[in-house]
Amino acid sequence: MPDDKPKAPGADAWDATQWHEVQKGETLSKIAQKYYGDPSLYTKIFEANKDTIKDPNLIRIGQKLRIP
Amino acid sequence: MLRKSSRFALVILACGLAVGCGKYKRLADTAIKTADTAVASAGDDVVKYATDQWQPIVDAVSSAKASYAKGDYKAAIASLQDIGPKIQAAQAAASAKKTELENAWTNLSGGLPQMMDAIKSRVDILSASKKLPAGMDKAKLESAKSGLAAATSDWSAAQDAFKAGKLTDAIAKANSVKDQATQIMQSLGMTPPPAAAAAK
Repeated sequence: MPDDKPKAPGADAWDATQWHEVQKGETLSKIAQKYYGDPSLYTKIFEANKDTIKDPNLIRIGQKLRIP
Repeated sequence: MLRKSSRFALVILACGLAVGCGKYKRLADTAIKTADTAVASAGDDVVKYATDQWQPIVDAVSSAKASYAKGDYKAAIASLQDIGPKIQAAQAAASAKKTELENAWTNLSGGLPQMMDAIKSRVDILSASKKLPAGMDKAKLESAKSGLAAATSDWSAAQDAFKAGKLTDAIAKANSVKDQATQIMQSLGMTPPPAAAAAK
């Protein structure tokens, strides 16, 4: 979820969020398969990106997703 | 048998020496007392954070006292030459070092929990996975889990050291945790944050 709190200088340098840029033909299930070995865990990716994904079946090429 | 004039000259000489010795003795006494007071009021930080500059000061005071005990008052005074400015310089160096260490701690204590949280999240999800991703096996996952437990324990020790005022120790422990967390992230196929790769 977006963090509205002002960050300390250099705070982004410690950001440990893992990101994935959606490629052509990818789905949340395929992305979950890649990172977790289990496509059914796509729900974890969906939950982590609820601010940008309204429908787990609809993701765009180039979209940046958090991978928890 | 000395002539009367020689005896008188010797007495005058002895009196002169006594006066001179008395003056240097008083000066040495004052210098040592002043130095002792300055050393006692310098504070703990100067001992902790400017050891290299502080030890010579302590040695100089000890040397002055040893010279005084032997009656070498001029040597005692010489040992304490510029002791005041040296103490001030050591205090300034200690203050700067302490600030540097505090800033380093603020940096590490803001970032390390984020790394640990990211690792825990990934480990938890992988533990729930029916099959592990390519490049990952059970042994690697177990190693990441035990590594995370060790890093968590070490992080707790780092925080305890900080609370106890042991800044140097706290930062050394925190940097060790940073290295451990970086290694674990890499073993899980994760990308460590840029700050983790920065110089200590």
